[in-house]
Amino acid sequence: MNLDDALKTFVIESRELLESMEEALLRVEQSPGDRDLIAAIFRAAHTIKGSAGLFGLDHVVSFTHNAENVLDMVRSGELGITGELVALFLQVCDHMGLLVDHIEAGTEPTVETHARSAELVGSLKTLAGRPAAEENTPPVRHETPLERDNTNYGEGVESDNWHLSLRFGADVLKHGMDPVAFIRYLTTFGRIVTIVTLTESIPGGPEMDPECCYLGFEINFRSDADKQTIESAFEFVRDDARIRILPPHSKIDEYLELINGLPEEEMRLGEILVRCGTLTQAEIDAALATQAAARDSGEREPAIGEVLLAQQVVQPAVVDAALQKQRQVKESKQGDAALIRVNAEKLDEHINQIGELIIASAGINLAALKTGIPELLEAASVMNRLVENIRDSALQLRMIQIGATFNKFQRVVRDVSKEIGKDIRLEISGAETELDKTVIEKIGDPLTHLVRNSMDHGIEAAELRLARGKPAHGTLRLNAYHDSGSIAIEVSDDGGGLPRERILAKAIERGLVKPDQVLSDNEIHNLIFEPGFSTAEQVNNLSGRGVGMDVVRRNITALRGSIEIESVEGRGTTMRIRLPLTLAIIDGFLVGVGNSSFVVPLEMVVECVELTDDEIAAAQGRDQLNLRGEVLPFIRLRDLFGIPEAPPPERSEAEKLLLASVDEELAFLLQPIKRENVVVVNYAGMRAGLVVDMLQGEYQTVIRPLGAVFNGLQGVSGFTILGSGQVALILDIPGLIRRVADSESRRNRQLTKHRITE
Amino acid sequence: MSESTETATASLGISGEFTIFTAGELKHRLLDTIDHCNGGAIEIDLSEVSEIDSAGLQLMVMAKRHATSQGKTLHFCRHSDPVLDLLDLCDLAGFFGDPVLIRSRQQG
Amino acid sequence: MAKTILIVDDSASLRQVVGIALKGAGYEVIEACDGRDALSKLDGRKFHLIISDVNMPNMDGISFVKAAKQLPAYKFTPVIMLTTEAGEGKKAEGQAAGAKAWVVKPFQPAQMLAAVAKLILP
Repeated sequence: MNLDDALKTFVIESRELLESMEEALLRVEQSPGDRDLIAAIFRAAHTIKGSAGLFGLDHVVSFTHNAENVLDMVRSGELGITGELVALFLQVCDHMGLLVDHIEAGTEPTVETHARSAELVGSLKTLAGRPAAEENTPPVRHETPLERDNTNYGEGVESDNWHLSLRFGADVLKHGMDPVAFIRYLTTFGRIVTIVTLTESIPGGPEMDPECCYLGFEINFRSDADKQTIESAFEFVRDDARIRILPPHSKIDEYLELINGLPEEEMRLGEILVRCGTLTQAEIDAALATQAAARDSGEREPAIGEVLLAQQVVQPAVVDAALQKQRQVKESKQGDAALIRVNAEKLDEHINQIGELIIASAGINLAALKTGIPELLEAASVMNRLVENIRDSALQLRMIQIGATFNKFQRVVRDVSKEIGKDIRLEISGAETELDKTVIEKIGDPLTHLVRNSMDHGIEAAELRLARGKPAHGTLRLNAYHDSGSIAIEVSDDGGGLPRERILAKAIERGLVKPDQVLSDNEIHNLIFEPGFSTAEQVNNLSGRGVGMDVVRRNITALRGSIEIESVEGRGTTMRIRLPLTLAIIDGFLVGVGNSSFVVPLEMVVECVELTDDEIAAAQGRDQLNLRGEVLPFIRLRDLFGIPEAPPPERSEAEKLLLASVDEELAFLLQPIKRENVVVVNYAGMRAGLVVDMLQGEYQTVIRPLGAVFNGLQGVSGFTILGSGQVALILDIPGLIRRVADSESRRNRQLTKHRITE
Repeated sequence: MSESTETATASLGISGEFTIFTAGELKHRLLDTIDHCNGGAIEIDLSEVSEIDSAGLQLMVMAKRHATSQGKTLHFCRHSDPVLDLLDLCDLAGFFGDPVLIRSRQQG
Repeated sequence: MAKTILIVDDSASLRQVVGIALKGAGYEVIEACDGRDALSKLDGRKFHLIISDVNMPNMDGISFVKAAKQLPAYKFTPVIMLTTEAGEGKKAEGQAAGAKAWVVKPFQPAQMLAAVAKLILP
């Protein structure tokens, strides 16, 4: 751990705080009375300021300080939550983010950034009702001096040293303040020439309270330090002790005041001062004589030490009732007490290692099966189970709630709705749904695009909405949930829905479909994902940024996910993204075709059925079979990947002998029957069958990305290495199902067309 | 902590913290040792003191005075380093008058 | 034997920087991220000093100090509280809870070292 690491922590931490600040700001507008939210906003600014100070990031400190001032006024009720205030603080939030960016990049803020800082500080001050020109209290406070400065009039004493007179209050020890510790601290910047420890006040045995402090000290102290430094040594006991500090060559009156102000007898104190070497005997004699004379004449000393001290010590603690009342943020707000921060790279490395472990363990399992030794099989199965557990917990480590990603859209929706002049509210559900960190990181952009698309094209203008009998404000919904081994993320709006005819017209105009093509609603909706498609009559700066819906689909496909649309004209649209829970490891179902092995993600496997010759015959050459009354389209993996027939297995001598010895009929039965199996897979509500030779059972798989060579290989999403060292391709089931569905609908279309032309 | 009472020479060993945290208990032990000592001499062994603060220092002063008030003599012996440091800092070695190792004062 | 300090703050970077400074000066440092975490770390250990922020999630500094001071082992342990210049009200509350030493945020590492040295030297 060094300072650079700490600075990195600061950057991460600040970003998180700014995120929660932003979230709280957006929520506080709706519930201005929520003190927890205000406290959260305050704490974010407060924490950033505190840490920035440690790193000497003065520009961050002074900027945040101004924000904190205003927030403090909000906290104490002096300022109310207004739209204006929230808007300003959102800008402040953004700007702080910018400052943090500079810190991360190690760059100095630009002139513009400084100007922006000044501008925002001006706005903050105006909001706080303070003239912008008013000088800001410096962030680093200087303590007010404990005593008046030593004005050098009259004749000073000879001593070159400081004199410290300390009387500690009864409670200091109970408060954890050890008088000798302060004295020890003095020795870090000066030398104690003489010290007299006053123990007279300690009561006799039984009466003494062992936890009470009775000590006093008179110290002759030699140091080059200034008065403030010496005073500050006692800052923590200022309220609980009488501290007098006399600089070198103080005038004799000051010592007199000291003597008068202290409880001990004058003579004893005088003695002590002499013993300390602070005063000479002559000096003290003269002084006491002068004082006695003054007292005789009835004059009051102009400045009795006691009075002075009394004046110094008074520092009434202003009890801010509002602050006291303010309750702390609810405990449930952040249940992250025991969280530790882990470098994501280390975590990924850890997961990779576990991947290797899974492969190794599968290898051992296969080897154990071959040997058939019961003990080995038992041990291998125990290890398998443990590895499985480790895999699960490791994957769990990478799971993050989608809530934080969703919450970012509060801001987007707020800003965009203002910009385009539509009143749109965001509703979030399923925020606690967890998915893999890598997926979360990559889903932000597609999601942003969908949200903006919905706001821009989906939700109608207020007048139109009212005319359609809808509330004037539009509602955008973000929802997430787990669904059969994948996660579904929905972006829904209650807008106009996809305009079927307009999409079709546009597609025809663009040459994406032929004018005579018959398309289902779903197919028409999906046209918006075609490259270069945009129905918006006017391209504005939100959706028309050159990124089309085709890019959205491409991004999602790259995550082994898919997107589907449900839309009803006039009612609204739901875009549903489906993504795998994790990108790293899957539970697979291993199948064999010829000599090749394939892995089907287990969560997509519905069942396995035998493909009988009867069924093949019944299919009449079409690639579909009748599964309990339902038509199930299927794909032959052998055809898809062009796998040659496996040569007939070598027969052992014994088998040959056996076959030779039996009669013909029996020999036929003993022939290995070429039997195919269908693995029924399900994805996003669609089913298809995969025709394979062998079912090899469940198999845990680490997905390795396909190299450049295999990129573009249809129907495959990755590969893995089996325990035997053999490579198995991982099937891209969503892709395959889409393929089946496409060819199905093509065929249906042709059929329909036939019917139309007929 | 070893204690022997009702003997001519009472002795008490203080070990570990001689601080505000232990002051209440140690005060009783010190007073007990002094009060129950029939002879004239009490010896307090400080060799095992690992930490001492102002509270410990006050107790030392109190014990010394309490013994004296009963006409007994109390000696601290085998001062551990933390004790010596403190006596040195407060310049109190002379007050207790016990033989201590002479060490040069740390000067800052 | 090095003196051990418990630092309680919800800012990891603050704990890290203060930790670096204190360790450099010869103290041992244990970190806690909030009052609740800190309380759980008090058992079985002797801290010579506690440095705690006031405003923290889960359990704030004042509640933590109050709770710590209930424990015999920490009844008299010195506490430095970290506060803002705006936190005078909190200061009174903290004083009542037994926290007498206050350091105002933002501070430089050297300021913290000096504050600690006043109470305990390494």
